Amino acid sequence: MKVFKIILAALLVILALVITASALTTRGTLPTLLERMDPENLAAQDAAMQKAKDRVTTALAENNPERAQRSLDRYINGFSAQLTLSGRVGYDLFFFRNGPSMLALALFLVVAAAGLIAHALDRSGRVRKLVLPAILITVLYVGVYIVENIAGANSMLMTVLKKGAIYALLAVSMNLLNGFTGLFSLGQAGFMLIGAYTYAIFSIETQSRAQVYQYYAGGIIQFQLPALVSIALAGLAAALFAFLIGWPVLRLKSDYLAIATLGFAEIIRAIFQYDGLGPLTNGSNLLRKFTVFDTALFPFAVAGVCIALIALLIHSTYGRSFKAIRDDEVAAEAMGINLYAHKQMAFVISSFFAGVGGALLAMYQTTVQAAAFTSAMTYEILLIVVIGGMGSISGSVIASFLFVAASEWWLRFLDNETMLGSFRVPLLRSGFRMVVFSVVIMAVVLFYRKGIMGDRELSLGRFRRRLSHRRKGGAQDG
Amino acid sequence: MTEFISANLPYLLAGISVGGQYALIAIGYTMVYGILRLINFAHGDIFTVAAYCMVYMNATMPLYISLPLTIVFTVALGLAVERVAYKPLRDAPRMSIMISAIGVSYLLQNLMWYVTGGLAQQYPTIPWISSTISIYTATTKMVTLVTPVLTLVLVVLLVQLIKHTKIGMAMRAVSRDFETSRLMGIKINGVISVTFAIGSFLAAVGSMLYFSNYTAVTPTAGAMPGLKAFVAAVFGGIGSIPGAVIGAFIIGIAENIIKALGWTAFSDAFTFALLIVILIFKPTGLFGEAVHEKV
Repeated sequence: MKVFKIILAALLVILALVITASALTTRGTLPTLLERMDPENLAAQDAAMQKAKDRVTTALAENNPERAQRSLDRYINGFSAQLTLSGRVGYDLFFFRNGPSMLALALFLVVAAAGLIAHALDRSGRVRKLVLPAILITVLYVGVYIVENIAGANSMLMTVLKKGAIYALLAVSMNLLNGFTGLFSLGQAGFMLIGAYTYAIFSIETQSRAQVYQYYAGGIIQFQLPALVSIALAGLAAALFAFLIGWPVLRLKSDYLAIATLGFAEIIRAIFQYDGLGPLTNGSNLLRKFTVFDTALFPFAVAGVCIALIALLIHSTYGRSFKAIRDDEVAAEAMGINLYAHKQMAFVISSFFAGVGGALLAMYQTTVQAAAFTSAMTYEILLIVVIGGMGSISGSVIASFLFVAASEWWLRFLDNETMLGSFRVPLLRSGFRMVVFSVVIMAVVLFYRKGIMGDRELSLGRFRRRLSHRRKGGAQDG
Repeated sequence: MTEFISANLPYLLAGISVGGQYALIAIGYTMVYGILRLINFAHGDIFTVAAYCMVYMNATMPLYISLPLTIVFTVALGLAVERVAYKPLRDAPRMSIMISAIGVSYLLQNLMWYVTGGLAQQYPTIPWISSTISIYTATTKMVTLVTPVLTLVLVVLLVQLIKHTKIGMAMRAVSRDFETSRLMGIKINGVISVTFAIGSFLAAVGSMLYFSNYTAVTPTAGAMPGLKAFVAAVFGGIGSIPGAVIGAFIIGIAENIIKALGWTAFSDAFTFALLIVILIFKPTGLFGEAVHEKV
């Protein structure tokens, strides 16, 4: 078995090398190949083959099988040379066109091979557990990359994937607070706003600032930071703000906390639109011309890293304390958990990631305006968390993609007036999509209160156990 | 002095008027909270639906029919929301009911957007209360004077209802202790329905007064007054009707003073700042009762 795995891994690596070589060399070989496909060249070949064919006919007429055979061989050789040539050109063109996707595929094959080798050599079983998740994650990223190259960056599918990844981060960060720590906070939109604005302010191109801040003499900041630095700053700004307001707010109980955080979000919105801060925030005008991402891999990478960090946090001792606070505050305090410190921590960390999510959202939209960050935005993300399941990271991620896909794509047809023959389908017109959508959400909230995942996680282990259990059950039945 | 008064009287009048309108909405919040411990996030949207009702009904019917019909429809909507979205979750955690309320608010807003096409509608002029009058130096609408008077009359009637009738006694009992009053044979669902009916009725009246002043009706027009009314309810001590009324007047007047000072952009933010300050220093509000947590 071990040998077999290693051989398979070697084959995968060879395949990956071939793909990489093809992808890298096509740019060089294509011109020569195309030269060989010149009309003149082809015409000469065609003429030669025509001659060979004629010879075959004459030889048959002369009843000379040997000569006929020889000419026929020549004819077939020429034919297959042409086929090979067009095949080569097709192959090279394919690699030329899909070069980046093919490199990504090669990368995936190498990862798979590494996984196979690790699987074969690892005795402790520790690495073994990481192999499948690692492969699945590579498949996800490689898949996104390939789909983007095939479907085009502006297709509906890519829009859904980009926005879905950003919403996934926002939903998971809100879930950390509402689902894992039991703090019913409705300040998400406020922290997103801080993140989006911090990002935008620091990453507007220096030469465009005069144009963007036209009413405020070019603004007061006259430099541009790299995108990743600005994103980190966006998170830190949101976290700092959360730290400051956490002191008064986190002492409040459930619904008071909800309404106070909602209030803070509204205050932030008013402050950012305040004319006096115009040189920094551009008043109530929009901010634009900042760095945006051009590939869906960027939001996927940033959101992926952030969600992984949140998952690690939740599985640490801090995470267990959060859950203890959620389940019973009084008991948690009696167990020696510092309520305020842990609540503050959850609040600050959640806000940090909400800020990062806000920055990504700004990049996705390419413009930001404070007026858009209303409480409706918070409600939307809260509903995603509920649909996915309070206290489930994977649930939030799945629900985000479903929510975005349904609202942006799958239910679009409900907004268009449709004729079936001469029959006008009733109800279908602009706005109907959101009505259907909110009815579905209400149905989930009322009848399917646990959401998609409840408080469980998507787990390969459980999936495998269930499969083997089912198989065993089947055997007993037989 | 005369100059000072003539400069600020319009703002004061507007403050008292809008305060009365907030009070009518705030009572709905505070009564529901008192009984169900639920922030009814959909209340602001019910307020907006009442306005749309009036717009559409007034287009086809005379005022003396459309006015009562609007009130009936709003009350029916309030009851329906309670029955469909809150009743099934009676024994669920409080967070679930609050989320359901947010879901209803989302649904109502989207529904209004669908029906109206998202365009702002002009609220019909109601004769007499929409007419302009001038008081001292300020010119204003009759509604500015009518609102505080009508609000006080309705509140006095409501307090009488709660103090001296059987259903009022039941409401007081339920808000004191939900479980025990259930054991005592009070029909909880009936009491809750009456609460929602009263809240919706007052929201409908409030919407008529509010939109006679601010005549553009949009699907989200009720969100801000709704939130502010809620702040007023918290400010006065949630669960307490006089508290909600006083809180609403304070917020209405303070908001307009801020506008008079030229800080219009911060008039909304001020309301929430006030809320946060009161929550820090007196979490139960002006007239609220302290709740002790039992282990």
